[in-house]
Amino acid sequence: MIAVRNLSVTYRSSEREKRAVLGVDLAVERGRMVALAGESGSGKSTVLMAIPGLLPATAATSGEILLDGRDLLTCSEAELNAVRWRRIALVPQGAMNSFTPVLTVGRHVEEVLEVHLGLSKREARERIPALFALAGLDGGLAARYPHELSGGQKQRSAIALALACNPEYLLCDEPTTALDVVTQRDIVVTLRRLVDEQGVGMLLVSHDLPLAASVADRLCIMKDGRLVEEGEPRTVVDHPGNPHTRALVGALRELEEAP
Amino acid sequence: MRRRTLTRRWSFWCLVLLAALALFGGRLFSAPPDAEVAAPFSKPFWLDRSLPPTVTADLTPDAPSAEIPWSWGAPSRFFVAADMVADAPGRTILWTKPGGRTVEIAPLKKGVERDGRDMAFKRALGLPPFADGAASLLDERGTYRLSVDGQGPWEGTVRLRLDGGRWGLFGTDQRGRDIAALFVAGIRVSLLVGIMATLIATALGTTVGLAAGYLGGWFDSAAMRLVDLLLSIPMLPILMALAAIWGKGLWQLVLILSIFSWMGTARTVRAMTLSLRDTAYIEDLRGIGAPTAYILRRHLLPETLPLLLATMTLGVPGAILSEAGLSFLGLSDPRVISWGRMLHEAQTFGTFTAGAWWMLLPPGLGIAVLCLAFLDMGKYLEERTDPRLRGGALS
Amino acid sequence: MRSYWARRVGSSVLILALVLVLNFVLFRMMPGDPVASIVDPKFSPEAKARLMEVYGLDKPMLTQFALYVKSSLSFDFGISFLTGRPVADELRSRVPNTVALLGSSLLLSALLGTWLGIQAARKRGGALERLVLWGGALSYSFPSFFFQLMLLMVFAAAIPIFPLRGSLSVPPPLGGAALFLDYVWHLALPVLSQVLLGFGGWALYVRNLMVKILGEDFILMARGRGLPERRVLRGHAFRMLLPPLLTILLLSLPGVVSGAVLTETVFSLHGVGRFLMEAVTGHDYPAAGASFFLLALLTVASTLASDLLYGVTDPRVRLERGRGR
Ligand SMILES: Nc1ncnc2c1ncn2[C@@H]1O[C@H](COP(=O)(O)OP(=O)(O)OP(=O)(O)O)[C@@H](O)[C@H]1O
Ligand SMILES: [Mg+2]
Repeated sequence: MIAVRNLSVTYRSSEREKRAVLGVDLAVERGRMVALAGESGSGKSTVLMAIPGLLPATAATSGEILLDGRDLLTCSEAELNAVRWRRIALVPQGAMNSFTPVLTVGRHVEEVLEVHLGLSKREARERIPALFALAGLDGGLAARYPHELSGGQKQRSAIALALACNPEYLLCDEPTTALDVVTQRDIVVTLRRLVDEQGVGMLLVSHDLPLAASVADRLCIMKDGRLVEEGEPRTVVDHPGNPHTRALVGALRELEEAP
Repeated sequence: MRRRTLTRRWSFWCLVLLAALALFGGRLFSAPPDAEVAAPFSKPFWLDRSLPPTVTADLTPDAPSAEIPWSWGAPSRFFVAADMVADAPGRTILWTKPGGRTVEIAPLKKGVERDGRDMAFKRALGLPPFADGAASLLDERGTYRLSVDGQGPWEGTVRLRLDGGRWGLFGTDQRGRDIAALFVAGIRVSLLVGIMATLIATALGTTVGLAAGYLGGWFDSAAMRLVDLLLSIPMLPILMALAAIWGKGLWQLVLILSIFSWMGTARTVRAMTLSLRDTAYIEDLRGIGAPTAYILRRHLLPETLPLLLATMTLGVPGAILSEAGLSFLGLSDPRVISWGRMLHEAQTFGTFTAGAWWMLLPPGLGIAVLCLAFLDMGKYLEERTDPRLRGGALS
Repeated sequence: MRSYWARRVGSSVLILALVLVLNFVLFRMMPGDPVASIVDPKFSPEAKARLMEVYGLDKPMLTQFALYVKSSLSFDFGISFLTGRPVADELRSRVPNTVALLGSSLLLSALLGTWLGIQAARKRGGALERLVLWGGALSYSFPSFFFQLMLLMVFAAAIPIFPLRGSLSVPPPLGGAALFLDYVWHLALPVLSQVLLGFGGWALYVRNLMVKILGEDFILMARGRGLPERRVLRGHAFRMLLPPLLTILLLSLPGVVSGAVLTETVFSLHGVGRFLMEAVTGHDYPAAGASFFLLALLTVASTLASDLLYGVTDPRVRLERGRGR
């Protein structure tokens, strides 16, 4: 289990100080999907990136991030490298930049297989079609360079890459933003299947409240760095306890009823 | 961010100093820069204090004797020459040693010259042919005296020169010319060639860039193609060939350098023109039927001018280095003193065998400092026109 | 995908054509008798007449140009005024020396500069970064030949550990290994000087690029995938650096060739550059034209090579229409 306890993050620069996350508590268990929603700039990505220790050097963190009881915040870079990808993988926001432009998508997958599972190049290559199929992609795309893929294909490749080492936990940062509705659905269904069939524990960050509510087992709402609401998705959406959540849900209702 | 003003830049003061030296520096020296003032390869005066310095003295009817304090070994050369209007019978040039012994050097006649190395002079002094005349004339320490003795009128100057091994701030070159004087004379050439060549190149580049950017079409693609091509050919060999064919004069050099260094400016100006061309106000001008030439001259040119000034300043070091390179290769007018030429002569005439490193340092460091100053100045101007660049690594 | 290679080769051919035209025009632009630029005025009238016929100097300009292009491309450059031997023979012994000087100094300064630049980018604000910044500025403003003269002064004249001049000792030592060592000994100072002058620019450029690359998301993500630091640097950051590195190699080539002319002159090396320089001062026009042509050819060929390599290292350009450089 990943347990985030009282996490606070402050970005420091010479000019200003930005308290991006304030005392957030969160738990992600295997085989369950937790959705984290909230308006832009509320600190969702910051929480997600803090878990594998990927915040920039300018970010000061406090609190605990426990992976089966071990605090990741106090781990060294080498210890983190043993956890990253093999146990906790991530699909970053806007997968566009997560691939190195001069390497093929398949090469990225081969590399993590070689490094983390000690496979030979050939063994690694043989696993690619199955991984790509898992993410709903044709294995032939592995030979392409990132710029030769569409946004949706890139997003799915990022999922395939994240699944390469059979991680226990998957952190997805807005994996469906900027995609059409059909593709969004498809990807969300793929993710849900991973949780149900492979027993992956998933943290899904999204600001699409209805979408998040429809797939997740638990829904958390963030506002200005604080967790303002947490519970069963339907309860949160239908009976929001917090004025902010109420406003968020209300705005969505209005949008739906507008046409 | 710290506000940097022009007068706070080292390069500004450096350039002012060099410009002042170029304009008025000649007055610091009594002789013209190509005069032979001391023994060849004399060291700078501060270098080796045990070496005798180079001493000169002039005698005139108003000051018919001169005292020469001497506390070193023998000089390498003893030389006296009389520059007279007419012979002065009855008068002689006398050399008095510290102990009081006098030696008659020569009768005071028109055009008489005595050199410690001359056979006839040595014989007249009663020395064996292989003796060193200068050594026997200066064999003591103390105050010597050179004087015009005897009776009768005389008019003219008697000059004495004792070549020690030291001269001036920077010593002398292979011909005994004062390196400090040559150095100062060289500033002028470097500045002149650097600035003139860049000015002409900028004018050329601006014209091409404005035309290419504004007109577009085939002219644009042809011009940019040419720029690409010229930038991918090694420049120095072309410059060398041109210098050999067109002659080595200063103005030819300026022309050659400018013909082959307009490409960068053309590119910059074209890019700027392109971005300005489609702004609303230029389009309005076109809409009311303003002629192309008018728009270019009255609106686009002034807009690009500040940037142009910076580009130009940054271009000067290139021209200076090219000029120095060509001169160093011996492809410049031998009568024109320049820093590159000085380095050429240093290499050709045995700085290495003579160990005369002082021939290398002044011109070489001069070029480097001048180029750095222009680079710094250019960076400053660039920052003034484009605030985004402020706080660059070396500013 | 074909069009990228075709465009690159096409542009090289165009440059070469320009060089040929330039060369032709330059040496026929001479004041006075154009014949004097190709046939030594000292030759006997019969020899002159024969040479004039060989070069087609009595024919119209266009025919002359065609003849000239044909002979240039077949490396037939005529007879040197100074030595009286075929220019091609003179050049044949010098080209390898120039290539050795250029190749080794370019390679070493690129390696040293790249390494320093990467280190400086990794440890921002350190002493190494300051060294790189200043080295870069100096290498743009320091007259190369002055620096080389100083090196000669110190390491060949004052402390004689390197030779003052030449590509080989006179007489050259016997035996392969001894000969090779002697050659390397003579080449050491020229190469060292070019490296010291060249690495600063490289380092500065690499540092700026690397600072940018290390700040990119895909580097953060490579770290996020638990890849070891070395792998992130080599497999990802350096891999991204490679294409622009080739670009700067490409852009610096003409300047480096110009520098080689000066270097060969300072160190009196037996190379094309010094041959050009002697030809130019000695008004040996066939030799000067031929060396200029060869130096340009060398530049164009290496430019094409690095251009093609660029296409291999960066998959993105092969698809683009034309590359904005
Ligand atoms: N590297 C950084 N340096 C300084 N401030 C940062 C940095 N990254 C994020 N922030 C600030 O921290 C706050 C939280 O950012 P975060 O990216 O976590 O938001 P988010 O909830 O993911 O928003 P979005 O939905 O737009 O992705 C924002 O106000 C942002 O401006
Ligand atoms: Mg985010």
